Amino acid sequence: MSAIEVDNLQRAFSEEVLAVAGVDLEVAEGEIYAFLGPNGAGKTTTVRMLTTLLRPTGGTARVAGHDVVTEAPAVRSAIGVALQEAALDPLMTGVELIRMQATLHGLDRAEGRRRSNALLERVGLTQASKRRVGTYSGGMKRRLDLASALVHEPRVLFLDEPTTGLDPVSRKSIWEEVVKLNDEGTTVFLTTQYLEEADQLADRVGIISAGLIVAEGTPTSLKAEVGKPRLELVLAEGEPDDCFEVLERFGQRLPGKDGKLVIEVESGAAAIAPVVIALDEAEIAVESLELVEPTLDDVFVEKTGQHLEGAADEAPTPEPAGEPQPDPA
Amino acid sequence: MGGAGSVALTADLQTIGAMMRRSANELIRVPGAAIPGVLAPTIFFLGLTAAFGSLIELRGFDVSSYQSFLIPVSMLQGAGFTGAAAGVNLARDIEIGLFDRFLASPAPRWVLIAGVVLSASVRSLIPASVLLVVALIVGADFPGLGGLLLAFFLVMWMAIVAACWGVTLALRFKTQAAAPLMQAVMLALILCTTAYAPQELLTGWLYTVAEINPITQVVEAARQGFTGTITWAGTWPALVALLGFTVVLGGFALRGMRRTAY
Amino acid sequence: MNTVRVVVALGRRSVLQTFRRPQLLAPLIVFPTLLLAIQTGGAGAAVNLPGFPPVDSFLSFMLAGAMIQSTLLAGNAAGIALAVDIEMGFTDRLLAAPIPRWSIVVGRLAGAAALGTFSAVWFLAIGLIFGVEIAEGIPGVLLMIAVTTLSALAFGTLGAAIALRSGSASVVQGMFPLVFVILFLSSAFFPQELLQEPAKTIAQFNPASFIVDAVRDPVISAFSSEDLWKGLAGIALVGFVGSVLSAGALKRRLRTG
Repeated sequence: MSAIEVDNLQRAFSEEVLAVAGVDLEVAEGEIYAFLGPNGAGKTTTVRMLTTLLRPTGGTARVAGHDVVTEAPAVRSAIGVALQEAALDPLMTGVELIRMQATLHGLDRAEGRRRSNALLERVGLTQASKRRVGTYSGGMKRRLDLASALVHEPRVLFLDEPTTGLDPVSRKSIWEEVVKLNDEGTTVFLTTQYLEEADQLADRVGIISAGLIVAEGTPTSLKAEVGKPRLELVLAEGEPDDCFEVLERFGQRLPGKDGKLVIEVESGAAAIAPVVIALDEAEIAVESLELVEPTLDDVFVEKTGQHLEGAADEAPTPEPAGEPQPDPA
Repeated sequence: MGGAGSVALTADLQTIGAMMRRSANELIRVPGAAIPGVLAPTIFFLGLTAAFGSLIELRGFDVSSYQSFLIPVSMLQGAGFTGAAAGVNLARDIEIGLFDRFLASPAPRWVLIAGVVLSASVRSLIPASVLLVVALIVGADFPGLGGLLLAFFLVMWMAIVAACWGVTLALRFKTQAAAPLMQAVMLALILCTTAYAPQELLTGWLYTVAEINPITQVVEAARQGFTGTITWAGTWPALVALLGFTVVLGGFALRGMRRTAY
Repeated sequence: MNTVRVVVALGRRSVLQTFRRPQLLAPLIVFPTLLLAIQTGGAGAAVNLPGFPPVDSFLSFMLAGAMIQSTLLAGNAAGIALAVDIEMGFTDRLLAAPIPRWSIVVGRLAGAAALGTFSAVWFLAIGLIFGVEIAEGIPGVLLMIAVTTLSALAFGTLGAAIALRSGSASVVQGMFPLVFVILFLSSAFFPQELLQEPAKTIAQFNPASFIVDAVRDPVISAFSSEDLWKGLAGIALVGFVGSVLSAGALKRRLRTG
């Protein structure tokens, strides 16, 4: 049984504004699925519909085997939700908040207490749990948010932009926690505008733009769609006669720009050493060499003609020297 | 099935209790949080009795002091304000996204409303008590134990009505900026009654409105202990009025909850 | 002259701010109107009390009180707006500019004055719609509008003083109940002689009473220069105190940065 089944899901906010314009997707149990897209693409609206916070205006969705509209209470019992802007009451203490969540889910006092304490320890907030949430840092709030979402041991966990605004260390610890949860069997549906997050965490990625999924697949397969990794070289003496013969042993030559020589290398980084050795044996000096791998941003550009907003925040990935080549299959 | 039912009910009651405890947090953890809700009706009570006190010389007034006449109105005003404040708090919770946390849980929608509304009801005892003490100091008649309990009972129920209204507006507008509307309507509802004077002495449009306004019955019923004797005939219309308002406004609130977030 | 242009510009800004946001305007006009309607109907029988001044209706009596209630609230609102400017740092920018210090406050008062005029016209219109006859006719109306506008200016200086002294919008906001205390301790809602003690005695000396009486006069009786002078004196007193406090608070603010 799929954990999440979505069929032509739509949400219109007015005559003209269609925030979600017909989304189809399926998430298997135990999968981590990431919704990648810029602000305003419809990620949050979709999540709100799947978590029964917003009524769809078209299409259907089933979460944990229940219809989100007609069987909402059953859906709510099976899902954990950590939304954007860790929404917490600044006057409550951490432990009060997570225990309240336990009560909302109908756990009896003793069981609620036991699970709350265990989860607080798991996310490293036991010490801080007696302090008011208003004193927590952003990272601590997210961790508390995550712990609260897990108190009733949900089968499906929804995370809406879980690491936006966090420092790299906090981000990493959230990622580790998500992977651990997934290993324990929880299905995870997360939305993000960060390429790296989708790339690192997700089993499958759905790229969403303007309310529609424009591409879906594993990170690897998506990137492979837009091209293979390539080596961009600048040789010390321009283009000596035999350099092409040497380079073309390793992969197809692609049009270069600005005096760069470009060859496609299917094996990616593994090809660097052999290429360098071969050029050295041919006594061809290399001035610079760069491995350019396609990114999910390249996929996004290919499908929508625009860059992902979050791409600017990522560790800089070199721009491709030429147009991404279509897969010559 | 009965076992599952009672487990669910226990969970519901515990949820309501948790929401009420959370509401108490604001009073305990934020110094001076209770002051605005108490100050406004108190200033109005003292000011109105100072300004309009000589009205009781008119024929038609059958009371020993204007303080005794007005105090039940001020107590009800305090309840109206407390209920509106509950609506404002809910609007704030919605604005910061905290209410989503409650909505995404399996807690039934009526339980969430009950938590907010019952908190307001209990809180209304604070301004009511302060007002009562102030009124006794400036010369109101002690209403007797029966009158006291009746007044507090009606005040707590009025707070429920006001909170249902506040909740409805909070769900509709999802912003704290709706606060003036929450407060103004409750203020008008309570004052467009025999608040200032007995029915025969009201003039103009207010005469007609007060006659029709069901809250007039609530004012009169709450007034019984302070200005006369308590009778069943003087009390049951108030209960019917409050019940009617609760059903209608509570219905709006529930519908609002279902429409925004089912 | 540059100063005049600056004051006019600040004044324009202040007036536009006041009227551009209906949700701020509403409590200043709607609330007093609501209260007027309710109190007129509820306490209307008071005109039959022995000792009540001869009036056509309770509304004729109360109208002035509603107008002055609006101007007090306008003064409070002007103070809040100034405090917000201070909190936002806008005032710092003005202080660093080559304009006289007082122009900052005077510019803000323009908003209060505009509101005063608006509320005077508003309540006069309501009065006329509901059958109030202005005893003194057109000159009386003009007088009422003038006195109301001036009183808004005067109360504005008090609001400005609190804003400058505290620098906090929520402190000025907290003065809101004080407005009603002042009104209840005056002849705004009821004739001074018929108030209960200690309000009766306080109202005798409360400048707000003089101001209300000066506005009320043209409605209910023949023109009385005594009432007018007392009212203007009340406005002058409030304005003087407010200006002195404002100047002092401004100096203090500049000294302590």
